[in-house]
Amino acid sequence: MIPNRIRITGLTDAIQKMKEYGIPDLATFFLVYEAKNQVLSEETVLSQMEKALDAMEESIQKGKLKANITPSGLIQGGALKVNNFLAEGKSILSPAFTDVIYTTLAVAELNACMGRIVAAPTAGASGVLPGAFLTIAKNQKTSREKTIQSLFVAGGIGEVIALRASLAGASHGCQAENGSASAMTAAALCYLSVSDPVIVESSACFALKNLLGLVCDPVAGLVEVPCVKRNVVASVNAVACAEMALAGIQTVIPFDEVVDAMEQIGNSMPSSLKETSQGGLAVCNACKRYCL
Amino acid sequence: MGILDVIGPIMIGPSSSHTAGAAKIGFLARLIYGKPIQNVEITLYNSFAKTGKGHGTDKAIIGGLLGMKMDDERIPTSFEIAKDQGLEFQFILKQDLEKHPNETKIEIIETNLGENYSISGYSIGGGNAKIVEINGMKVDFSGKHDMLLITYLDVPGMIGYIGEILGDNHINIAYVQISRDASIGRAMAILKLDDFCTPDIVLKLCENKNIVKAISFPRLGGYLS
Repeated sequence: MIPNRIRITGLTDAIQKMKEYGIPDLATFFLVYEAKNQVLSEETVLSQMEKALDAMEESIQKGKLKANITPSGLIQGGALKVNNFLAEGKSILSPAFTDVIYTTLAVAELNACMGRIVAAPTAGASGVLPGAFLTIAKNQKTSREKTIQSLFVAGGIGEVIALRASLAGASHGCQAENGSASAMTAAALCYLSVSDPVIVESSACFALKNLLGLVCDPVAGLVEVPCVKRNVVASVNAVACAEMALAGIQTVIPFDEVVDAMEQIGNSMPSSLKETSQGGLAVCNACKRYCL
Repeated sequence: MGILDVIGPIMIGPSSSHTAGAAKIGFLARLIYGKPIQNVEITLYNSFAKTGKGHGTDKAIIGGLLGMKMDDERIPTSFEIAKDQGLEFQFILKQDLEKHPNETKIEIIETNLGENYSISGYSIGGGNAKIVEINGMKVDFSGKHDMLLITYLDVPGMIGYIGEILGDNHINIAYVQISRDASIGRAMAILKLDDFCTPDIVLKLCENKNIVKAISFPRLGGYLS
């Protein structure tokens, strides 16, 4: 029996409840979870997720249209430069890999330029899911239905982080924003190939572990430097972690405990490194001329 | 928080707290005021004051006041649109530790009546925002319910009167909050409703001479606004 409200304490609990309720996979579990808890029909929840997917796809197109330049001058059309570099045949990577970098930059730069994006989980990390997940899903010619299902897995991973820790840079640093986005993206990428929760969990663990301790130190308080390129790190990290998990490497530490470690690290971070622009890169000499 | 809050909202960047949340405060202020706004003075506090310009907090609030939702692509050009639509505005930047880090006060200047209307709210992250003060009276709502705001002369029996009319129209009240300003003998009831109070019911409510003003607006579509 599925109750009218589904409460979970973490990913382990979610996987256990999924089995208990006779739900076949994580994507369906988080769809049912959302529909029950928000008192919406599953069709409504699915159509809202599809709207998010549409908006992500539009943000990719718009971010690639032209050089994205911010009023501060901190962002100077990096995505376009990467694409030109690829077109000139100078890239040192495979085109698919460079496409992940290019697409992530395009969306993160569009966000910095007041473009329309999907906060996933935050606006500051909005380039990661479209940049890594949608780029690879498209390369694999994934169906729209499967793409949407995978977004529920990504959302479920983010939900677990929100429940046990936080998704806000102001409370836990960049590990909570780009770290979470990376874990969500790695899980969604795995789910494209396999529904085995052990593999999905491992990929999310690797991705979050690799970015633990990352602070939030934005120059001039803007979502530009280092945020835009940290989106790329989160994307590239997600791809690598999905690849490792799919290859059969298993996590030693369960995801819930990795999130608890993030919570503990976030709590011991000084406030100067949590979105206040009072420390780290934000106070570099080279950055002073950009400060407000 | 929910899966659709994690993958969402759809919004104009760059910041869910400083841009999307700010647009929502402006949007709610427009609904609360209930009439076109011609002249407004906006105070940005603390972090909103420090980094608001770089985050487009100012453009987002003006966009919201013009009726733009947080994913409206006209937000970056809201200042120009305000000019075209005859909305005059000015911003004041303040540091005040008693205020929330991301707080704003929107003061609507009523040139005809010589009386201002002020609405304060703050952004609480993830594109969510709260309205916390209307004309000096403490309130607390975020647009997740159908709302009815009634300003009335502070005499006995008013809540009963309002409740009866809503009940007659099969509208269930989820929450009521009452604030009073003894100095002018007025009170304000903030009602969160399960269903929208339509204009004909609002007119019916206003038949009571003790009611000064009644504003009703439906809940914001959670995902997009």
